[in-house]
Amino acid sequence: MDILYKAFVEPFLFMSEAPDLLLQTLWEGLVSGVLYALIALGFVLIFKASGVFNFAQGIMVVFAALTLVGLYEKGVPALLALLLTAGVMLLLAIAVERIVLRPLVNQPDIILFMATFGLTYFLVGLGELVFGGSPKEMIADALYLPQGTTELTLLGGPVRFQHLDIAAAVIASIIIAALAVFFSRTRIGRALRAVADSHKAALSVGISLNQIWVIVWFAAGIVALVAGIMWGARSGVSFSLQIIALKALPVLILGGFTSVPGAIIGGLIVGVGEKVGEFYWGPLVGGGIDTWLAYVIALLFLLYRPQGLFGERIIERI
Amino acid sequence: MRPPLQPNRDTDNTLLAVENVSLRFGGVKALTGVSFDIRKGEIRAIIGPNGAGKTSMLNCINGFYHPTDGRIIFKGEMRRKMRPHVAARGGIARTFQNVALFKSMSTLDNIMVGRSLKMKAGFFWQLLRYGPAIEEEVAHRKVVEDIIDFLQIPHIRRTPVGRLPYGLQKRVELGRALAMEPDLLLLDEPMAGMNLEEKEDMARFIIEVNQQFGTTVALIEHDMSVVMDLSDRVVVLEYGRKIADGTPEQVKSDARVIDAYLGVAH
Repeated sequence: MDILYKAFVEPFLFMSEAPDLLLQTLWEGLVSGVLYALIALGFVLIFKASGVFNFAQGIMVVFAALTLVGLYEKGVPALLALLLTAGVMLLLAIAVERIVLRPLVNQPDIILFMATFGLTYFLVGLGELVFGGSPKEMIADALYLPQGTTELTLLGGPVRFQHLDIAAAVIASIIIAALAVFFSRTRIGRALRAVADSHKAALSVGISLNQIWVIVWFAAGIVALVAGIMWGARSGVSFSLQIIALKALPVLILGGFTSVPGAIIGGLIVGVGEKVGEFYWGPLVGGGIDTWLAYVIALLFLLYRPQGLFGERIIERI
Repeated sequence: MRPPLQPNRDTDNTLLAVENVSLRFGGVKALTGVSFDIRKGEIRAIIGPNGAGKTSMLNCINGFYHPTDGRIIFKGEMRRKMRPHVAARGGIARTFQNVALFKSMSTLDNIMVGRSLKMKAGFFWQLLRYGPAIEEEVAHRKVVEDIIDFLQIPHIRRTPVGRLPYGLQKRVELGRALAMEPDLLLLDEPMAGMNLEEKEDMARFIIEVNQQFGTTVALIEHDMSVVMDLSDRVVVLEYGRKIADGTPEQVKSDARVIDAYLGVAH
């Protein structure tokens, strides 16, 4: 009985007794949720347009951040380094289209998936070769990212908002909104959705698949760069950062692999779920549950809604 | 029925010429040495029994397949290894046997995608919804609305096409092809799976497109009465070879065509 009390009553009592702590936890959850959403978005973009699950998305985040910091350390001004890094991501997109996607067109999905594994190790090697393997500090100051903390008294207690977190949430929201407008309102956005629905019909109206692939890989590269800056500013730039891509998996399972709004909602659910779970239920099992809670949530979802919140329902006639 | 075009040897009149085209997949010969031409402004039918290579021929013309041998000359230019989006830019539009639409998008968006090639405004301005980009979008939208009215489908403007019945999907697909303002319109069994009324509508649309806009049409069709009514000239394929070519009357009375369609006693 004691364990049931601790699991199902005590955490909620605690929440109602200290609503300021709950608010703090929710805020932190939302911030990491937005960043998860950003990473998941990189996957969704590429998956929608080319049906490839891009395993290299995580390393693209690290590679972009590493390039940015590396250029800065070599004496390039920060904002110029940012532009150059964007250029590098464009080159990467073109190279991937030419060297990986074009020769493998019409191959089974698993082959393209394996090719992105290869890409992952290539980028790890290239990053280490050019910029070295040691962890780096994100150049948050040089990029004018705000530092410091604002403390507000809300719901009867102090709630702390790190300025960096606010900036991260705002910038990520802007990127997500821009992508949503891009998808629904522009000619290229329409073409992207068209390609996601039918390759051959898209080709027949004059859409070049190669061009579309470069665009989505570039967009995913930019999303990776932003995610890299934000995560890097929070926890440093190192190759271990690429495991955050694995955190995007439960987000994708929740949201559906093809849905932009799904990636956002899924990211928020995972971010908030993790933080709240860790803070209120973590002590019950000795802490550290944020490393696996997201996967358990995703697993439960898979049982009831395999296509995700907004994913396309697959009904097949037999 | 319209009077058939007078036979005309004037080469300037040829929009597309297929010369000695062969297509092999490994050991399978889909097409063997097929030659014919499509003249400007005509409705050209390609007929033949199942597996005769009709769709393969269409796929060669718009660049989905590359002929193993022979050549295809479009608007006087020889094309080798033509890619489909390049063919589209050159003015070739098509529909598909089993309908290839963007299922999650509305009728309007599907037909708008057909305007992709005509839209020029930079994507940055589109993103900002700025002056010229808006004007362009409005102008193209007007064309799309005209097409929707022409095809009599205004009531399904906002419906995701995946939910539409088959007959209407075929009509939306035709609309998307028309939005490209093509010089050559390829229709792969435009009336397959339709009831009589839908077939009559579709036949009317094809004739109107051909007569009002002067669009050249090449179509594959199984329904012989439709083919005979619609087309100016007919080419007949069997087992990847051309067995007849001429006006509907000539083809109808050709012994080899009758054999191919009705079977022959051995």
